[in-house]
Amino acid sequence: MAEASLIFILLERILSIFTDELINIPLINPAVEMLLKIPFLNVIVAFILWKPIFHVLILPGLIGMTLVLLFIIYFERKITARVQWRVGPKEVSRRTGGVIQALADGMRYLFQEVIVHRDANAFYFLQFPLISFLPVLLPLLFIPAGGTYGIRTIYTIPAALALISLIPVFIVAMGWASNSKFAYIGSVREAFMYFAYEIPFLLAVVAMIVLYQTSDPFEIVAKQWIPGAVMNPVAFLVFFITVLIATSRLPFDIPEADQEVAFGPYVEYSGIIFGLVMMLPYEKLYLLSMISVILFFGGWNGPEIAILGDLAPVIYLYIKTIVFMCVVSLARSIYARYRLDQSLRLGWGVVFSMSMIALIISVGWMAWLRL
Amino acid sequence: MKEYSLDISVTPPKEYESYFVPVPKEFLEDAYRSDDFVVFTGPQHGGSGHMRLIIRVKGDFIVEVIPDPGYVHRSMEKLAENRLYIQNIPLFERPSIIDFGNYNLGYVRAIEDALDIEVPERARYLRTILAELGRIGTHLYDAGILAVFLGHTTGFMWPFALREYIVEIFTRITGTRITGSFVVPGGVRRDVDEKTLDMIKRMLNALEFRIKKFERVFIRNPTTIARLKGVGTLTKEEAVDYGVVGPFLRACGVEYDVRVVEPYEAYDEIDWDVVIGEDGDGYTRFLVRVEEVGQSINMIRQLVDNLPEGDVLSDSIISFNRKDIRGSFFEAYADIVLPEGEYTTLTEAARGTLLYSVISDGESTVPYRVRIVTPGWMYLKGFMEACKGHRLADLQAIYGSFGYFPPEADR
Repeated sequence: MAEASLIFILLERILSIFTDELINIPLINPAVEMLLKIPFLNVIVAFILWKPIFHVLILPGLIGMTLVLLFIIYFERKITARVQWRVGPKEVSRRTGGVIQALADGMRYLFQEVIVHRDANAFYFLQFPLISFLPVLLPLLFIPAGGTYGIRTIYTIPAALALISLIPVFIVAMGWASNSKFAYIGSVREAFMYFAYEIPFLLAVVAMIVLYQTSDPFEIVAKQWIPGAVMNPVAFLVFFITVLIATSRLPFDIPEADQEVAFGPYVEYSGIIFGLVMMLPYEKLYLLSMISVILFFGGWNGPEIAILGDLAPVIYLYIKTIVFMCVVSLARSIYARYRLDQSLRLGWGVVFSMSMIALIISVGWMAWLRL
Repeated sequence: MKEYSLDISVTPPKEYESYFVPVPKEFLEDAYRSDDFVVFTGPQHGGSGHMRLIIRVKGDFIVEVIPDPGYVHRSMEKLAENRLYIQNIPLFERPSIIDFGNYNLGYVRAIEDALDIEVPERARYLRTILAELGRIGTHLYDAGILAVFLGHTTGFMWPFALREYIVEIFTRITGTRITGSFVVPGGVRRDVDEKTLDMIKRMLNALEFRIKKFERVFIRNPTTIARLKGVGTLTKEEAVDYGVVGPFLRACGVEYDVRVVEPYEAYDEIDWDVVIGEDGDGYTRFLVRVEEVGQSINMIRQLVDNLPEGDVLSDSIISFNRKDIRGSFFEAYADIVLPEGEYTTLTEAARGTLLYSVISDGESTVPYRVRIVTPGWMYLKGFMEACKGHRLADLQAIYGSFGYFPPEADR
């Protein structure tokens, strides 16, 4: 009897931890209150609606990210088709215009054989695509979305960027584990590109941190009564170009140039593992778009919606992120691919100088505002 | 750049022994012992076409490219020895089916030379229209391939969509989208009506308008220029030495065009200019072909406007219906026997000079031997030489700028 009551006390304790930081959405509050009265189920409901878990698992976390990935691939194919006088994906679910095309592709990957070729280092070959989700999901803990957040520190932006910067390491490792010539060339290209964009990219972010005098996103967003992209357009331009390079979008599609090195580091992957590694640049794009929205487009700023409560800022951030990703995906239909040396020259030359100018502009703003 | 050599003993991988690789074993071993890297591109590769390229790279720079063509060889010359002269017309357009006008023309002119057939004026004009339409189509096709090799997918889709206009006109004239086999000894298969001629003119306007759009999105695109300018340069002397032909020779500054040197059909009756480039690099090779499309549009306009009235088949071939060959093929062509001798024609196909040499023994209804030298084969050497010293990523750019077409080269 005493043990049973102990369990109940423990559950109450756990429940109180969750309910302290429960996300407040007036729209579903009556249902949540009703569910919280049911024993055992209330712990599960409270756990899901607990702010950190809601943030990482639902929106803008795992489920939100999956939806974005499914949408952006469809959107990219559709908009490219429009530019190229084509129709684009349509046959899967004709009534909705082929919206679930990416899902159908994912299903097909799932039922395809995963081939591990003889020369590959099988252990690492299969391991890297799976653990590459770590640097994708961990930054989400740090990037807040107004109403919800995972971990709140004043070092949010540097921590998130440090984790995102780990992704190329996994890509290079994939190419190494594949042990094939094209994968090797692709990995070397990826490594070169990594060094070319990372410094201007970080300098652009540093310029914005200098401008806002803080790296806490809550303060950054609160300070953006005019968007950061207007305050320091050069930093935004640098950020935009480096996002294109970082996510291997055209015209910087160099590491995975399919006509030259046949998808470079990913050449040997097949089946669902290939599906996972091909998602990697898109996941990176999602994270970088989120950071760019926070730094340059006023984050989750927007009119209050009473009925959504804490969810409203999350949705603002989410929608702005999707719009940013859509703009990035347009570059595919406009540009050809640069050569490795040309983009290195661009990265170390023009973009690097521009990032220095951005830093100077930020310092200038700061000095002027202090006066 | 300072070089650091690593003294590590490396053995060439076993796959070089088990696969058929057309390079000496010493080449591979030598490359492995030095710092070089041998990359096999193709035949199943997004940027190789139906051939294998064995590339030796030093760092990122190409030292040597060894082509391994022949994957689409169809032994066309041998096949031709067992077929009637007329049956060889569809066979000999197979090297480049999108450019069938020129390929028909070369072979048929050889037969006409042998039999001394006078071709009616109207048929000559129609043949020229077909040849020039094929030239536009092929250049658009090559532009699309070049674009996709540079990663520009819009530049790939648009020319292929534009080629659809040409193909539609082919359908109206010949009845098929490609492989028209429209040119027959003594004329063309059938006459073209006024409606089709009007359609050709309207199509040319639409094509011209859209090519201007294409120019904005791909031809003048800064990334395209960055990738092609100064890449794969051949000097005038090199181009002549390696036997480069066609627009690629003209891009190096050599003024040679069979249509001017030995005019055939209606080429000497219309106004047009030979397009000459100067630099001989990849971008010039591309621009020359873009300009040629403009010239061809201009030529077709003149040809359609000045199309003479009359028959389209010669008297000596068929006497009762000189407007349409359908139904009288057997009667007209089954018993053609060429007089003994060798008959050679030069034709300016879309990708360059095309040579047909028909040898007849004077008594059989099949050719004794037909020699066909396609432009693709002629500029393969130039293509390989142009790659040397450039980066590995430039291989596809140079490939695209030459518009190399393995089925054409392998015959």
